[in-house]
Amino acid sequence: MKGWAKYLVRWEVFLLLLLLAEILVFGHLNPRFLRPRVLLGSINDFTSICVVSLFVTFVLVTGGMDIQAGAIVGLASIGMGLLWKDCGLDIWTAAAIAIVAGGLCGMLSGFFVAYTGVQPMVVTLGGSFLYSGIAIAVTHLSSTESYKGISGFPRAFTAFSKYRFWGIIPSQMFIFIALLVVSYIILHRTRYGRAVFLCGVNPAAAEFCGINTRRVIMSTYVLSGASAAVAGIILTSYLGTAKADFGKELTLPIITAVVLGGTSNLGGRGGVIGTALAALVIGVMRFGLSMNGVTTQYHDIPVGVLLIVAVGCRTFMDNPSLARLVRRGWLAKT
Amino acid sequence: MGELKRIVPLRELTSVGFVVAIFLLVGMVNPNFLSAQNIMLCLNGSVVFIMLSVGIAFVIISGEIDVSVGATLGLAATVSATMIRDDMPWSLAVAAAVLVGLMVGLLNGVGVVAFKVPSIIMTLGTNGIVRGLCYVYSSGKWVENLPFGYKSLSQATLTGRPGSISWFFFATAVVTLLVYIYQTHTNRGRHFYAVGDNEGGATLIGIPVGRTRIIAFVLCGVFASLAGLMYVSRIGFVTPVAGMGYEMKAIAACVLGGVSLSGGIGSVIGAAMGAIIMASIGRILVFMQFSSNYDNTITGILLITIVVADALLQRRAAERARRTLLTAKTAITPEEGLP
Amino acid sequence: MSTTQSEGGKPKLSVRRIRKSFRLNTVLKDINLDIYPGNVVALIGGNGAGKSTLMKIIMGIYKQDDGDIAIDGEKADLANPAAALARGIYLVPQEPMLFPNMTVEENITIGFTENKADLRRRLTDLTAQMNWRVDLTRKAVSLSIAEQQLVEILRGLLRNSRILILDEPTSALTFDEVESLFRIVADLRDKGISIIYITHRLAEVFRIATHVAIMRDGSITLQGPVGNFTRDDLVRGLLPPDAQQRERAERRPPPARTGKPVFSLRGYSGYGFADIDLDVYPGEIVGLAGVVGAGRTELATTIFGRDIVRGGSVVLDGEDITGLSTRAVIDKGVNYVPEDRFLNGIFKISDVAANTSAACLRRLPGLFLPRREEKSLAQRFVDGFRIRVTGLDQPLGSLSGGNQQKVVIGRALSTNPKFIILDEPTRGIDAAARGDVYAIINELKEKGVAILLISSDMEEIVELSDRAVTMYHGRINRRFEKADISQDNLMAAAFGAAV
Repeated sequence: MKGWAKYLVRWEVFLLLLLLAEILVFGHLNPRFLRPRVLLGSINDFTSICVVSLFVTFVLVTGGMDIQAGAIVGLASIGMGLLWKDCGLDIWTAAAIAIVAGGLCGMLSGFFVAYTGVQPMVVTLGGSFLYSGIAIAVTHLSSTESYKGISGFPRAFTAFSKYRFWGIIPSQMFIFIALLVVSYIILHRTRYGRAVFLCGVNPAAAEFCGINTRRVIMSTYVLSGASAAVAGIILTSYLGTAKADFGKELTLPIITAVVLGGTSNLGGRGGVIGTALAALVIGVMRFGLSMNGVTTQYHDIPVGVLLIVAVGCRTFMDNPSLARLVRRGWLAKT
Repeated sequence: MGELKRIVPLRELTSVGFVVAIFLLVGMVNPNFLSAQNIMLCLNGSVVFIMLSVGIAFVIISGEIDVSVGATLGLAATVSATMIRDDMPWSLAVAAAVLVGLMVGLLNGVGVVAFKVPSIIMTLGTNGIVRGLCYVYSSGKWVENLPFGYKSLSQATLTGRPGSISWFFFATAVVTLLVYIYQTHTNRGRHFYAVGDNEGGATLIGIPVGRTRIIAFVLCGVFASLAGLMYVSRIGFVTPVAGMGYEMKAIAACVLGGVSLSGGIGSVIGAAMGAIIMASIGRILVFMQFSSNYDNTITGILLITIVVADALLQRRAAERARRTLLTAKTAITPEEGLP
Repeated sequence: MSTTQSEGGKPKLSVRRIRKSFRLNTVLKDINLDIYPGNVVALIGGNGAGKSTLMKIIMGIYKQDDGDIAIDGEKADLANPAAALARGIYLVPQEPMLFPNMTVEENITIGFTENKADLRRRLTDLTAQMNWRVDLTRKAVSLSIAEQQLVEILRGLLRNSRILILDEPTSALTFDEVESLFRIVADLRDKGISIIYITHRLAEVFRIATHVAIMRDGSITLQGPVGNFTRDDLVRGLLPPDAQQRERAERRPPPARTGKPVFSLRGYSGYGFADIDLDVYPGEIVGLAGVVGAGRTELATTIFGRDIVRGGSVVLDGEDITGLSTRAVIDKGVNYVPEDRFLNGIFKISDVAANTSAACLRRLPGLFLPRREEKSLAQRFVDGFRIRVTGLDQPLGSLSGGNQQKVVIGRALSTNPKFIILDEPTRGIDAAARGDVYAIINELKEKGVAILLISSDMEEIVELSDRAVTMYHGRINRRFEKADISQDNLMAAAFGAAV
């Protein structure tokens, strides 16, 4: 037993290998896939998953669950569109307000989770109804017809997410890396991050250490809400439209990325590096499948299989008695 | 009263009362809401959700969660509708749908019990897989042009006249009652509660915890496929996204009806009541002259308010009990006296 | 008593050459044990002696590696709990495993296949026969621990169990409840039920057991009818063969109480305790004795900011710290080592370093979490307290109980408290670790830290304390100066006996 940190390192290496294998396989099937411009540009299709899952990791590390982030993505998108179009605010101000609002949405759910002891799953289920509901309601306040969404944003705003540094590296890649670094430092290098872990391992003991566990738990939902808003802004910029239902189908890939990345939904273990790699694994898989002519509706099949198999294997090997059986089998063979 | 309370515990009475109260409240704003015809529409319109919620209640009561019922409903609906469209015997279509639910439930159950995958993760995964299979099976196309005979099943009423209780609702109500009796008044049925209430204790007295959970998942899948059959008849066509998001509504219905996600508390009657509310919210909003755009908003507020209120009340009661107990311990009893 | 108690017939339960190991760790070595109808076998042993493993094998929760179990002389294959139940074995666990949301009746009758009316009749017959009053309609969540145990016992009897295993049944009971439990055990014994009674308390052995068996390191070191042994025999059986008499700390004269107390309570009241007046001077250990439930832990946790203060004041070094939050109390210079290590003390899957630094994260220097300082802090305690670890990155859950406790004490000391409350610091740890913990406590005392030592182990209080108080029903009922502290005095006061 060398401790779970080393175990996780191994898991992250495994994810990296998985990612490389995917790239090789898809590259073999369709050589165009390996062109740097195409491969790097693929991130534009799934930045939102990457960004949100980084911070949903925090929630799961405290032992929580967040299935409302997708709804906040849509709310932030339509909200900022509305502020810009119907309230006449500057687009960047509108974006800033959207991030704050996303954080507040997270805070509301986080408050109920931390201070009333309702299961996080139920609260964020309610939150997902509430925020997607508000997003729809807000859409109807706009002068624009709802199904079209709000468009016609200033060029500067729609361009920032499409820009490519040196003509090749997409700006969204930079955003993702920047947020990865930020979240890594917060979760793994600060006192706050340590408190997040301690709350997940044993909240009662954390209280006896003078950690205000309720505040820590609530704060993780604020982070995930704000990151969902950031994802909503990036999507709005990239697609040039603000819509209420962006993020509707993000819940499965977000949770998959976090869990596949090695974070346990029981709290206390995990990390953002694993989440980031897992998000890339999922994103590249979807992108590669599309390039090879598999339409997007089918993508949930391999993602779902990957999720179940990965978690199944991990919990299986974590279970000492089962693992011993497997090891015995191994020894017998060799 | 005491006898009544013994047969139908308080929690179920509360949830029935809750539905009645909401209906009366809306009726005060708009008396048309309380017309027999409208109430029938509300009840008949809730059969799909009731079936889903009753199924999911098995899983929640035994302490797990299933978010794959929406996709299961979709796949069962797609498969059965295709067979019905292609003039295969209905019985075969029904059997195929049930088989779909059975397989998905079995997969979930085995994953959770044998491979120890947390149920939220497991069912999130199968939800994706099964939804993908809907697309594969239907090639992404709608299943349309179903025979009138099958569609009219959902219109058939007990009295034969439109606007009265449909056979579907009647059957659903009977099934719900039977499940309720099974779960609360039979030995095997109580196992679901025992497993959800205290897993360790259940193991110690020899209840097969793993098997009970697998059965809960299988039943949940089967109920989802039955809901799928009703869905096909009511809607008349099936899209690849049929039932998408229904899993969340069904869970919300259970929670509204007093089924606790921590397991062991609540009943299918409560779940059914919650389902009636969930299915009627859109209609209620229309009668209250709100736009139905607020449907989700209201659901969210209702859900959060109820669970938070319930949690706070329970916590306060527990805290008060603890305090009373501790205070009683410090009371000076006369015969002891103290220095 | 009937003839069933004679040893001529077949044993009700017979355990032969049971072995069990987990990985490389041998937990049970050749256990042999016979229990006849109407026997109450007290099974004693320290933590880790293998008692609970043996019981779990008898209950069919674990499978033995080797050896047989026979019931009524007939070999029994107890593959799972259901099989054990079917053979008439019932385990009442230390913490009753009831279904909190079910009624008492549902709790007792669940898992039966026979019809409800019959069950109910048998149940009422049974309670009448035992002369027990139980409200069958109450929810289990509202029962006291003693009532829960009663329900567990009823559950076992209704299953016609002839072998009852009671696992430390008195550990959470009040004095009166213990008495009524003893009456019940005596009743059952007279009815010919075989009972395995697991306990830590030697006094109980002589009160209710007919036979005794002592386990140590996976073997039974001594067994036979209670009458054959004295208390000293039992103590010897519990000690390792090469154990020297633990040397008593030579009784130093109490330090001259100079100046002002560093910590004072005045008329302090809260939930579970009332009107507490107490002073603790620097470099002094004050023992706080009392039975479980006397309000000791509630007093400590309330001082530590975990519950509401109802009156009075807490003064630390002249500063009023009444009702501050846990974090503020720690900052002022108080710390607390919790009673329940698993629930409130350890971070099981976190490593030793993170566990040690958890209470003083904000005191470490630097903008980010300084890994190096954290490690050196942890290393200091690992070396100083002789904590056995493979490395600072070892998860705490894989350490032995004693080493875990040392880490938790180290964590409390990392905040440099002026006053520290140790709540049952040696509960559930082995003798060697106990010695180490005592050394740590004495060292602290020499450094001038004021210590409040809460313990149910009267010997511990006698050995360490400079002064002692006892709590009874939430109030301090007696105070002792060093010279007056004796186990008898403390025990009498803790049980509220007239002085």
